[in-house]
Amino acid sequence: MSPEAHSAPRSLAESLRMRDDASLAALLRSRPDLITPVPTDLTQLATRAGTRASVLRALERLDAFALQTAEALAVAPDPASYSTVLGLMAGNTGDETVAAALPRAIGTLREQALVWGDDEQLRLVRTARELLAPSAQHPSPTGLGPTVQEATSGMSPGRIQEIVTAAGLTSTHDSVSAVAALTARFTDRKTMSALLAEAPQASREVLSRLVWGPPYGQVTPDPAAHLRWLLDRGLLLPTAPGTVVLPREVALHLREGLAHRAPEPLPPAVEPAATHAPQVVDATAAGQAYTALATVEDLLKDWDEGGPTVLRAGGLSVRDLKRTAVALDVPEPVAAFWVELAYAAGLLASDGEADERYAATPAYDEWLERPPAERWARLAEAWLTATRTPGLVGGRDAKDRTLSALGPGLDRSAAPEVRHRVLTLLAGLPQGTAPSAESVLARLRWERPLRGQAKDAPRERSRAWGSDGGDDDLRSRLARWTLSEAEQLGITGRGALSAHGRVLLGAPAATPATSAASATSTASATSAGSGIPEPFGAPGASGPGDKLPVHHRPAAPVEPRSPAEQAVATTAAARLLAPLLPEPLDHVLLQADLTAVAPGPLQRPLAAMLDVLADVESKGGATVYRFTPASVRRALDAGRAAADLHAFLTAHSRTPVPQPLAYLIDDVARKHGHLRVGAASAYVRCDDDALLNEILADKRAAALRLRRLAPTVLAAQSDPATLLEGLRAMGCAPAAESAEGDVLITRADAHRTPPRTAPEPVPEGPPPPDGTLLSAAIRAIRAGDLAATAPRKTAGAPLAGGKLPRTSSAETLATVQAAVLTGGSLWIGYVNAEGSASQRVIAPIRVEGGFVTAYDHTADEVRTYPLHRITGVAELADD
Amino acid sequence: MPRVNGPLIVQSDKTLLLEVDHERADDCRRAIAPFAELERAPEHIHTYRVTPLGLWNARAAGHDAEQVVDALVQYSRYPVPHALLVDIADTMDRYGRLTLSKHPAHGLVLTTTDRPVLEEVLKSKRIAPLVGARIDPDSVVVHPSERGQIKQVLLKLGWPAEDLAGYVDGEAHPIELLEDGWALRPYQKQAVENFWHGGSGVVVLPCGAGKTLVGAGSMAQAKSTTLILVTNTVSARQWKHELVKRTSLTEDEIGEYSGTRKEIRPVTIATYQVLTTKRKGVYPHLELFDSRDWGLIVYDEVHLLPAPVFKFTADLQARRRLGLTATLVREDGRESDVFSLIGPKRFDAPWKEIEAQGYIAPADCVEVRVNLTDSERLAYATAETEEKYRFCATTETKRKVTEAIVRRFAGQQILVIGQYIDQLDELGEHLDAPVIKGETSNAQREKLFDAFREGEISVLVVSKVANFSIDLPEATVAVQVSGTFGSRQEEAQRLGRVLRPKADGHQAHFYSVVARDTIDQDFAAHRQRFLAEQGYSYRIVDADEILAEG
Repeated sequence: MSPEAHSAPRSLAESLRMRDDASLAALLRSRPDLITPVPTDLTQLATRAGTRASVLRALERLDAFALQTAEALAVAPDPASYSTVLGLMAGNTGDETVAAALPRAIGTLREQALVWGDDEQLRLVRTARELLAPSAQHPSPTGLGPTVQEATSGMSPGRIQEIVTAAGLTSTHDSVSAVAALTARFTDRKTMSALLAEAPQASREVLSRLVWGPPYGQVTPDPAAHLRWLLDRGLLLPTAPGTVVLPREVALHLREGLAHRAPEPLPPAVEPAATHAPQVVDATAAGQAYTALATVEDLLKDWDEGGPTVLRAGGLSVRDLKRTAVALDVPEPVAAFWVELAYAAGLLASDGEADERYAATPAYDEWLERPPAERWARLAEAWLTATRTPGLVGGRDAKDRTLSALGPGLDRSAAPEVRHRVLTLLAGLPQGTAPSAESVLARLRWERPLRGQAKDAPRERSRAWGSDGGDDDLRSRLARWTLSEAEQLGITGRGALSAHGRVLLGAPAATPATSAASATSTASATSAGSGIPEPFGAPGASGPGDKLPVHHRPAAPVEPRSPAEQAVATTAAARLLAPLLPEPLDHVLLQADLTAVAPGPLQRPLAAMLDVLADVESKGGATVYRFTPASVRRALDAGRAAADLHAFLTAHSRTPVPQPLAYLIDDVARKHGHLRVGAASAYVRCDDDALLNEILADKRAAALRLRRLAPTVLAAQSDPATLLEGLRAMGCAPAAESAEGDVLITRADAHRTPPRTAPEPVPEGPPPPDGTLLSAAIRAIRAGDLAATAPRKTAGAPLAGGKLPRTSSAETLATVQAAVLTGGSLWIGYVNAEGSASQRVIAPIRVEGGFVTAYDHTADEVRTYPLHRITGVAELADD
Repeated sequence: MPRVNGPLIVQSDKTLLLEVDHERADDCRRAIAPFAELERAPEHIHTYRVTPLGLWNARAAGHDAEQVVDALVQYSRYPVPHALLVDIADTMDRYGRLTLSKHPAHGLVLTTTDRPVLEEVLKSKRIAPLVGARIDPDSVVVHPSERGQIKQVLLKLGWPAEDLAGYVDGEAHPIELLEDGWALRPYQKQAVENFWHGGSGVVVLPCGAGKTLVGAGSMAQAKSTTLILVTNTVSARQWKHELVKRTSLTEDEIGEYSGTRKEIRPVTIATYQVLTTKRKGVYPHLELFDSRDWGLIVYDEVHLLPAPVFKFTADLQARRRLGLTATLVREDGRESDVFSLIGPKRFDAPWKEIEAQGYIAPADCVEVRVNLTDSERLAYATAETEEKYRFCATTETKRKVTEAIVRRFAGQQILVIGQYIDQLDELGEHLDAPVIKGETSNAQREKLFDAFREGEISVLVVSKVANFSIDLPEATVAVQVSGTFGSRQEEAQRLGRVLRPKADGHQAHFYSVVARDTIDQDFAAHRQRFLAEQGYSYRIVDADEILAEG
């Protein structure tokens, strides 16, 4: 079957070498970290594929069953045959579904280069084995304990012989054969069954408590009889004083051979929650799409005259978000979504001024000019590809800072992939079918059981809005947000993916032909139900049990497409959506209760005028406007005359203008402008009109910019002093007037400051030190001197006194390793995480994984230093 | 593809806009009436509001969420937002999770079909004192005396309980309708039927639509002793008069329990005022509720029910209760107490519909704007805030305009309604008409009303004492010169004075005289908006026009 079946490879590199190009391409596609940078040869590729970071990443991308299979391999002997793995996965009873799904899982693991070797000798990559195998520190998800051999490795030969004898086996000369005999006995089902049949009831209960893990238990120094029975026969093995463990072989026997309590060979099906007519779904989605456009417009119109200020740390303040939510009449999380969406679509940004504010971008004005469907497409595309996740707004980051809308820390690189995946799952359902959110989440969890697990969630204090399950992992929360955001955006309607949503996703648009709908939908339903993660475009390409060569198996997650592909899909979606969007109207209905109802979206100029002339009372499919004296006055202030308003209303009303409304406009217009307000910086008053006439007529008065307000009053644009001077120059004798109208006597008060203290003298240097300070300073200087002059051996380059030692990293490693062996002390230069350099004297104890564990003489405790932060080392003189 | 032909538009704030001229408007109205309250009914687009109370009313009337959602989806012009449908379904689902019922052994019990809900409400501090022992995981004993209280609290917690605990029959008493030469109108019959079927609840009918007869009809159904609570003595007399005329009850069977008389008979009519009289910190007349084994309690003008009566009503949950009102709107916002203590709405017919059936007369509503004189304007500007309304409401010009209106309709039955006694006295003097005010004795009032009815007097000046429950069949013109600020419900009552069908087919006229550019005008705007929302077109004219005609 597979090429490596003919001659067994001896290493991962060798097995990679045997693969064909397509298979290698599949590997590199699913583990792109392996080709950055491109490895020089396959050995290097194999080495890289075996590094901890890369293996971890690969494991995270496994689906639940493949991961379970890998876990089973980790508890199986190395190498293990296919039948061994099958036994562990399917159990003694041989679960059919598991048996059918296993080849695919093994295939996945092979493709990902996590497993190599032929079916007789399957080997899990060593790093993966280390990661997945159970140990006391990292209990395995299988709940299995160590093998007999591992558990007895630290045991005295005498004790082992005791156990072997108690178990009824003949004692042997050496521990190795004794352990082998014990293992053989535990793996022999017949004798085990017989042995357990004799077990006292209480002992059996103990076993049943430990069988599914955790396999460790506590015992008193003087165990009860039923425990003693188990201990005597080696069914429980002591690991540490007071602790016993159930050996893996015994547990497997009790579990009927199963490595997992519940193997999950099949992905959970996405359950339909409700089914609606596809037309209803499309219409609802289209309605929501239109609302989305209106909301974004409302938002930016609201911010037209100076949007909210940008916080110093970036983002929108909580108060501004609240205000926006009120203005949009939506809950705050939804407001955050719209704000982020507009931001992601490039319609809004910070203006970058000194007093930084958010405002619409020039792109917004262009966007406004586009037809509605295109406007929607832009929003939808921005949403689909954005890594910013509005759902996090209101939560807290790792440093317990509030995450604010438009602020930093909202990017989650998994977001586009999850959005795409969720929508693809929706696309897998028949048209008009809305899934239950729980089943979508369950499916996503199955596909990536390790990803995003509890790593982000607890730190982000997931009290972020919108997450009802506070303990959800990031992917589940992203999926929840995706479902609700897709609805807001009109990609889904009543929970089901709309036709334009399908096209947006790049799914075949042709499926929906209504005549064929039932047939296709059942087909896709079954494939979704049988649940192999399938890329779109290849529905049902693989099924359980198919044994295609690994590289032909579709890669599990489909990466979001290239921008160009996405643009094509988006345009197609917009074309499909366009006819569903309501046509803007050119009329409203006026009513006697002083309201105007626009029974649908209005043409832009009409809407703009009504916005000025009336207050919006309710929004939705229609808009209800209310005319109030204040709103009419606003229109008059905006330069409209009463006659304009009457003409406007008559032109756009489908019904006669009600008398009270006409009366209202006239009544407000009658009073409008009755009082006039202006600014003047000084005035001239005089009881003699003739004198004022004279002044106005005088050419020299032009500079004073005088205007007659009343027969006896002139207003001036110049300040009182200039005015006085000007008038005097013209030969008048004006007197200044106070605010109360009294004549002001010009006799200035002497100018005084507020109370002030006299300046303190500034001496040349610090005050002379006293005795105590001096002696303390000297003591400190001497101590420092001693440390700097301690004799040390120089390694490599001679050291300039007191400077940090500098050595190459190879030298550093060698010196440190040598010091571990000799137990000597080293003088190191060290740069901490904040970048500040220090010198320390350490006695290395252990070097592993890039870290030095050492006794730090400087700090007087054991510390761990990353090797790469050590700038250099020097051996200290032995004395 | 979008169905642009529906008559209904669903707004995001849960109001529903119904286009009345649409061919399917009537069907749609019938479909949404059970769960949506008609909020405004101007000429083209009616506004309905979907509230939790409305949805629960619908549940109580046996409608389920599916019907509501169907109605919205079927008639909506634009797709209905999914979130709104979900919200409606969720809200409706809350009703009936808890039920109050009779347990053979434990008496009154609160049971649930959803255990977490019961757990949730039992955790509330306000529920704890009202319940007793837990019988089983799904039910808990309720002290019988707290039946009303617990319903009130549960409603506030958002989990309204369905009351299935039934009613006591009360002391039987034969009552029949005497339908000689008249009959209950179809909508009245429907109202009685809906009420009786529902057990307890409120019937909403416009003024003049014959609420008293709905009361009489319900009494004839109950055939038991009845306690009728009304707003004042005049109203009590009218109830008595009407009952004697329309039913088999005789004068002797009907007692009046008021400030002047304390009769307790098989049918007793009591005023709210006497019930809420407090002496030395106690309500001495409360025993009335326990004085007989009442089978039915009728609350007239539920929207005016004083707060203490709510408290007593909470203790009367085992008796059938009928609320009658023209509007569920309470100026104090205690609609939820009406829902939980008296019962859900059982019948509702908007004015326009009954008017269309010819049972009430259409009215011509006119607002007359008068100008204050210059000296009055100055005085108004300097008046204390609390004096301002009184000042502008009683301007001199109003008197002249009122006189002009009265002159114009000379020979017709005219009511002049106002708030301030001085103003009314002065008007009475100028119009040469009797004035009815708080100090007018009941005997005198009835005498004047009778004279007005007979046509002996054609103009009557009344203060707000006549706002409620007086029946003046032949008034064709009402002129209101001042009112209680912007009270919408007062406006409804006053308009009701002229809405009775006129024998001679005269059109009814309803004039409000308002001082321009003052708070009087603001209040008037509030009241006029109410009229317009009720579907009454109104005009605004300047005082000069009226004066010129007069």
